[in-house]
Amino acid sequence: MKFSVCIKQVPDVSAPLTIKDGNLSQDTDRMVLDAYSASAVEEALVLTDKHGGDVEVVLVGPDKAKETIRKALAMGAATGVHIVVENTSGLDSAAFAEILAAWHKKSDYDVILTGKQSQDTDAGLTGGMLAWKLGLPYAANAVGLTYDEAASAIVVKRQGDSGQEMVELKTPCLVTCSNDMNDPRIPSLKGIMQSKRKKVETVQLSDLGLELDALSGTVSQTQVHGFKEVPGREPGKKFEGDAEELVSNLMNLLENEAKVL
Amino acid sequence: MSSILVYVATQDGKIKRSSLEVLSYCKRLSEENGLSLEAAVLDADPARFTDKIASYGPSKIYAVKNPAFSNHLASALLEGLSSLISKINPRLLACASTESVKEVIGALGARHNAGVIPDVASFAIQNGSVNAERPVMSAKVLSKTSSSSDLVLVSVRSGSYDAVESPAETTVETIEFDFETAALKSLLKEVISSAGDKVDLSEAEVVVAAGRGIKDEQGRKLIEDLADSLGAAVGASRAVTESGLFPATLQIGQTGKVVSPQLYFAVGISGAIQHVAGMANSKVIVAINKDADAPIFQYATYGLVGDLFKILPLLTEQIRTYKAS
Amino acid sequence: MEDKFDCIIIGGGIAGLSAAMTLARNNAKFLLIERGEFSGAKNVSGGVLWGEGLSKLVPEYWNDEDAGFERYINHRRLTFMDGDSTFSIDFKSESFNEQPYKGIIVLRSKFDNWLSEKVMEAIEESDYADESFLAPNILVEEVLMDGGKAVGIRAGEEKFYADSIIIAEGVNNLLTRQVGLQNKYVPADALAVGVKEIIRYDQKVLEDRFQLNGLSGMSNEFIGTATQGVEGGGFLYTNKDTISFGLVLSMISLRDSGLKPYDILNEFKAHPVLKDTLKGGEVIEYSAHAVSTGDMKVMPKEIYSDGVLVAGEAANLLMNSGKAIQGMDYAMHSGILAAETIVEAKTKKDFSAGTLKNYRTKLEDSFVLKDMKNFQGAVDFLHSKQMFQTVPGLVCDFGKQFFSIKNEPTPKTREMLSKSVKKHSSYWELLKLGLKGARSL
Ligand SMILES: Cc1cc2nc3c(=O)[nH]c(=O)nc-3n(C[C@H](O)[C@H](O)[C@H](O)COP(=O)(O)OP(=O)(O)OC[C@H]3O[C@@H](n4cnc5c(N)ncnc54)[C@H](O)[C@@H]3O)c2cc1C
Ligand SMILES: Cc1cc2nc3c(=O)[nH]c(=O)nc-3n(C[C@H](O)[C@H](O)[C@H](O)COP(=O)(O)OP(=O)(O)OC[C@H]3O[C@@H](n4cnc5c(N)ncnc54)[C@H](O)[C@@H]3O)c2cc1C
Ligand SMILES: Nc1ncnc2c1ncn2[C@@H]1O[C@H](COP(=O)(O)O)[C@@H](O)[C@H]1O
Repeated sequence: MKFSVCIKQVPDVSAPLTIKDGNLSQDTDRMVLDAYSASAVEEALVLTDKHGGDVEVVLVGPDKAKETIRKALAMGAATGVHIVVENTSGLDSAAFAEILAAWHKKSDYDVILTGKQSQDTDAGLTGGMLAWKLGLPYAANAVGLTYDEAASAIVVKRQGDSGQEMVELKTPCLVTCSNDMNDPRIPSLKGIMQSKRKKVETVQLSDLGLELDALSGTVSQTQVHGFKEVPGREPGKKFEGDAEELVSNLMNLLENEAKVL
Repeated sequence: MSSILVYVATQDGKIKRSSLEVLSYCKRLSEENGLSLEAAVLDADPARFTDKIASYGPSKIYAVKNPAFSNHLASALLEGLSSLISKINPRLLACASTESVKEVIGALGARHNAGVIPDVASFAIQNGSVNAERPVMSAKVLSKTSSSSDLVLVSVRSGSYDAVESPAETTVETIEFDFETAALKSLLKEVISSAGDKVDLSEAEVVVAAGRGIKDEQGRKLIEDLADSLGAAVGASRAVTESGLFPATLQIGQTGKVVSPQLYFAVGISGAIQHVAGMANSKVIVAINKDADAPIFQYATYGLVGDLFKILPLLTEQIRTYKAS
Repeated sequence: MEDKFDCIIIGGGIAGLSAAMTLARNNAKFLLIERGEFSGAKNVSGGVLWGEGLSKLVPEYWNDEDAGFERYINHRRLTFMDGDSTFSIDFKSESFNEQPYKGIIVLRSKFDNWLSEKVMEAIEESDYADESFLAPNILVEEVLMDGGKAVGIRAGEEKFYADSIIIAEGVNNLLTRQVGLQNKYVPADALAVGVKEIIRYDQKVLEDRFQLNGLSGMSNEFIGTATQGVEGGGFLYTNKDTISFGLVLSMISLRDSGLKPYDILNEFKAHPVLKDTLKGGEVIEYSAHAVSTGDMKVMPKEIYSDGVLVAGEAANLLMNSGKAIQGMDYAMHSGILAAETIVEAKTKKDFSAGTLKNYRTKLEDSFVLKDMKNFQGAVDFLHSKQMFQTVPGLVCDFGKQFFSIKNEPTPKTREMLSKSVKKHSSYWELLKLGLKGARSL
């Protein structure tokens, strides 16, 4: 079974962040493997360990994003595909899905995994869009995956509106993964060493018959114009003291000030 | 081309409040922009919802009927919404950002070549383009995103707008929807609802959420007692769902549910940004934490610095007394 | 042993990365292991990287689009403070604007990460592009020994072997002790604790307040009530749109005082003069880290042995002279010298103590050990009680008299001085202090 896992490189969202003239700025310009993509890689590794097969990771991004591919290879993916786009700033999920679709039309796979969203845009669109473009059955927000060998089907446990849903997908199919699915492994020293000898295929947009101008001009249908602070909440009241005092204070406020009881 | 279509989601025989929030806001938006407002409900028996929807003032309701809609089946929802779009050709499709919507909205957008702006905190129509603000970077900031595509799909975070009734003359069109499940390559095998789901978390008016601070079974009991006394839904942080003390369905936050109750109790929760992303829209937030510097206090309307094991039993008792009187 | 390296470097801080850069440039096959999620993840400095060393390691680094530094220093200030006053020696020079800069202000999480990227580029260009590695997120638990010679490392279950090991693990030098180069027990008076806040301002406000121009920056050290009587000093460095602000406090003295570092820092911030300097900022980060006092008495017994070298703060290479802390430049230079020694050993195919001894010689001949030896007296002097209690009080008291104009006959400066001295110390004490100071400089 071959897994093709779409991985994204994102800014480290845990680093302090400020807005200057509507633009985001971070103290560290560190880029990392998207946590949701990392869970997708982890799950593919677990399933191929169990059922055999290979994991390939596919990334659309600038030259520097190669280190993120290396990270996935160090985790244990067998091969990498780097679709080089130096400047991705004008691209939205639709454009990434278009590029990934063009690649997957020429490559073979049984299962495509993506993150359920990306840590930077929190969009959660690429997976569904890609599935549609490739005509694949899919499920989103998976918190567990198993493979039913007899039926050649992936069984997805997904988080739905009212409870968890078990969905069976015939391969080839696509699943978007939640980071609640697993804890991605930290590459071992051996993994890190082997990663440098693994094959990373470099693909240009032109190899896929695509053009950056068209991708940012017409395929992308949304534009980001800037950023602003999340409006803060009104400062509240904080109490210290013994439990009795705290509780009677609170009851009083809930009843008479907030009137929510 | 001249209408706003609002998809009204239902669950377990009830309309989702977050859908009514969107409908209510779109009423205003349609009036401001000279567009008509239409609503769609997709269900095995949609007629049961049309009166309620009508009280929010759409000029027309599409009652789309098929048993598959009640089965949590993503492909049914996708096909249903897709055929409505083809039929009505709206300017804007707006809906609450439920899990089902999150699952289909990308594919729906790709299929209709639409601009998709998911999970917005607010949106408006200006000069022919749809402008929205949505949390990004782990909900640390808002991005200003717009689309001027002919069709734009917007999903809205719960609690972003108030649901206010505003009845108007409404016609209902019932559509018997044809949907063939036999050929599907995906099959819904089972839905596991957890026992904790007595009250639907995403809709609840009062939520009691547990964090790592509850430690063990004893803490869990204290949370359940408090929720019980308030008639509240139970929620949890990731640290707790991961530990298995509460089921994963109850997780609140960026990867879990987004809630917007009138009253939210954060008990033994530190207030990591990924958790706050799911609850910051709550009206009144009560935080109980023994660490006076815990970030949760920055969001709390009322913060109690103290030991939850001492506070909860007293609080539950007082609430019971209050409710009894 | 197909994976045997010429060298394994333990620690990806400044010493480790500088060694790695040198090895990559000299076509050695090496592995650098860093326990943090990335280089710099948990590293803390004030931080000014003094001197021109970086321009040798990364030539013309200032032309790098995203060079990992915040500002360069052209303005230095040393401030004595008592309860309500400050008395500063202030020096600013246009000549400091020239490259290579004489000192740059860095934030470690960014700087170390940037430097590690530079090392990766150097690896890519070396003969061992696919066989040398920077491995983050891995903790080295043991240096493997064979017949008294260091032969490799163990991390968890994994073991890797090399002809030589450079230990660049920083101030908590557990592995240096494990290989027997440092006594197992190191007295607490060899250690200080650094606490630091990063405070954010509007960039324009920051630039106006501290008279910054383009990338120019200011360093300010503080002596006196900054530390509530605890031995130590304070610092303030301007970053791009934040300042690094903090204290370095002697561990023993802190313990004796019963105070918490964070509380001392808050008092420091509340000082009437500093309050005005700091106002309007938002604290975005707080960190604490141990730091060596730079006392030569607690240096490792030796810094080389069969197959192993110790560099940077792991070897206690640091000088805290009151007007500056020099740990990073020492780490950088010792890392480079250690790597150069390994390169020579590789040519000679001899990694025994006999060859590696050259590292010690090189270090003795360099500014690192020369300065540490020459200024040991100054360091002792600085760490004396008078220096952080009596002197600042005396200086500020003098300032109060000297600068106040009262419409009554003004005493001569000499009289003012003697009045301050009487208040804070005896002549005899002062004379002793002066002699001691003069001797040590
Ligand atoms: C990509 C990503 C997505 C994530 N998504 C989510 C998400 O959807 N939801 C989510 O919740 N998290 C999410 N997280 C995890 C999140 O970052 C935090 O790790 C998590 O929210 C911490 O849970 P907590 O507050 O319960 O635990 P902790 O941070 O450990 O806090 C426990 C708190 O309990 C207090 N406490 C302990 N004992 C007592 C006592 N006796 N009385 C009172 N107080 C006590 C402590 O002071 C502490 O503040 C995500 C993380 C990532 C990286
Ligand atoms: C508050 C404060 C202010 C300071 N201000 C200044 C200043 O202004 N100027 C200045 O020059 N110096 C300053 N210093 C001192 C300076 O930070 C240090 O001297 C310098 O960082 C030493 O560099 P190093 O490479 O030897 O060690 P470090 O920078 O500490 O690096 C050691 C590295 O090794 C890693 N490591 C440790 N053990 C292991 C292991 N077993 N396995 C794998 N990895 C390991 C660590 O994670 C770390 O990255 C300051 C220090 C403090 C605390
Ligand atoms: N540039 C990209 N390269 C590879 N995969 C991507 C890229 N962008 C998005 N993805 C995948 O799509 C998921 C969700 O993306 P998004 O729609 O941006 O939230 C990510 O977690 C990735 O798995």
